[in-house]
Amino acid sequence: MSETENKPLLDVENLTVRFEVSRGGSWGKRSYLYAVDDVSFTVKRGETLAVVGESGSGKTTTALAVARLVPAYEGAVKVGGTDILGLEGEALRKARQRVQFIFQDPYSSLNPRQRAEAIVREPLDSLSTKSEAEKQEIVDRLFAAVGLRKEQQRLFPHQFSGGQRQRIGIARALATQPELIICDEPVSALDVAVQAQILNLLRRLQAEFGLTYLFISHDLGVVQHMCDSIAVMYMGKVVEHADRLSLFNNPLHPYTAALLSAVPSVDRARREATRRILIPGDPPDPVNMPKGCRFASRCPVAEARCRESAPDLRDVGGGHRVACHLVDERAVSPLAALT
Amino acid sequence: MSDTPVIPEEPIQKARHPFVEAWEMFRRNHAAVVALAVLVLIILGAIFGPILYATDPFEMVWAPFSPPGVDGYLLGTDYLGRDMMAMVLNGARVSLLIGLAAAVVSVVIGVTVGALAGFYRGLVEEVLMRITEFFQVLPTLLFSMVIVALFGASLPMITFAIGVVSWTAVARITRSEFLRIRELEYVTASRASGVKNLRLMFKVILPNALPPIIVQSALMVGSAILFEAGLSFLGLTDPNIVSWGQIIGSNRQYILDASFTVTIPGLAIFVTVLAISLVGDGLNDALNPKLRQR
Repeated sequence: MSETENKPLLDVENLTVRFEVSRGGSWGKRSYLYAVDDVSFTVKRGETLAVVGESGSGKTTTALAVARLVPAYEGAVKVGGTDILGLEGEALRKARQRVQFIFQDPYSSLNPRQRAEAIVREPLDSLSTKSEAEKQEIVDRLFAAVGLRKEQQRLFPHQFSGGQRQRIGIARALATQPELIICDEPVSALDVAVQAQILNLLRRLQAEFGLTYLFISHDLGVVQHMCDSIAVMYMGKVVEHADRLSLFNNPLHPYTAALLSAVPSVDRARREATRRILIPGDPPDPVNMPKGCRFASRCPVAEARCRESAPDLRDVGGGHRVACHLVDERAVSPLAALT
Repeated sequence: MSDTPVIPEEPIQKARHPFVEAWEMFRRNHAAVVALAVLVLIILGAIFGPILYATDPFEMVWAPFSPPGVDGYLLGTDYLGRDMMAMVLNGARVSLLIGLAAAVVSVVIGVTVGALAGFYRGLVEEVLMRITEFFQVLPTLLFSMVIVALFGASLPMITFAIGVVSWTAVARITRSEFLRIRELEYVTASRASGVKNLRLMFKVILPNALPPIIVQSALMVGSAILFEAGLSFLGLTDPNIVSWGQIIGSNRQYILDASFTVTIPGLAIFVTVLAISLVGDGLNDALNPKLRQR
């Protein structure tokens, strides 16, 4: 890897997003749901960070907060060194050009009343000052880049298939030549065959335009195919953050280990080598979080201190960061003791 | 994976405009198609009738209460001996115009209030919806009578009075549509594209919220015509113009002696409002995507 690639483009520090939940009518005590709680991670320029986790772990909220689509309560989101959370007006519009979003559901993320060309041109219309001819030229190039034909520009979204719709969504995200693209489960609504096409397209575009991806997913197979490093989220917290190889080869947090053991494999030897780790019970109530580790109630190796204090995310060597009391500098999975 | 992008094999569909699809759904509702034809006839009659049948509706042309078809007057004469045919044709202009203009007034107020409430939520929504409820609980006919009585019975004032008491339904529908649509991903996508709030409201959300608003507005034209008829029946109208309600109102004392003088304009109102309602119903079928699959 060269020097320029190693500089972080996105640096998220202590990001917290909370939602007000009213319990007991409008006069009841205000309580807050911390959907994203003190989350920090970095993405290097030109690389892909996958954020994985189960439903309700706060990964989509994290993505929306990074893109300034959901207000953050605390923290900083630095893109190329500047914190974009405090920006307003013209400065925010500049930042939006650099950070674009690909949405999960291609059926609801395209305005049904707009033609495909208008959808792709929208970011240019509101963020750039280019002339009409320039915009048309960019739209033409984008359609070609994502594998759509020029004649299809005049069509409405319902005249496209799911994969084609997602291509339109990708073209829209590319329109302002962003540096960072946040992909919120971009293939989870598509057929498996189409998933592969879209993932390959995303990889090709990354190489072509030097894009940096923040890739939200719950599908570890997809993640393995796409990313350079991974952040695992559980109940609004990052529990493990490492590069792809060390995370897949040596998952340290018990939750990560359980998640990885759930990935189905056709390889018989591998299937027998990995014992399925079952995690009993349900996640805790997100409004009344336990004071200790949030995974303690379901963790097969939890100890008394896990229920007392929440572990910090700390480096256990080689940039492998994990939030577990039971992992020390030797970086051995606490589950190893079980087998 | 090669470097060339995968060109999807699906055949390119013809770009069919949503209006074309809507018309095809509308066509299936036969009652609505008949009603639309009737409505077009009424509108043509209102536009060209007074030109082709150039009798002054205020002029006394014959003896009073001449029954329809007798003495050469197709619809007879009223209590002052005026030609009913000329009155109904001229009245159609006023009634349709007021109906349309009042509907426009209420749609403009209703959409603005509903859009702001549904888009900004919070305090804005709270205040605007309380105001809407205030207008909803007012006795509408009484309130518009007060407005007309206070500010004079001119055509614009009558239109305004009708519009100002009937916008609440539009506001509520607009708000509910905005509440639904603002959470959809394509609105979030537009925000990520840096679209400003005003454009987001009226260029992104409103076009998608339009179908139920259009249906409601169509029905409102009908109710505005009824409203105008009610007001002019009570005498709250410009004496220098003829409207259907006014014909009924001025002839009401003679309802037993010459019932045709109130029946004919009454029928005109009935047919027009029924046609508008049926067309509105057809529009509902045509524009409601949930019915598309049936």
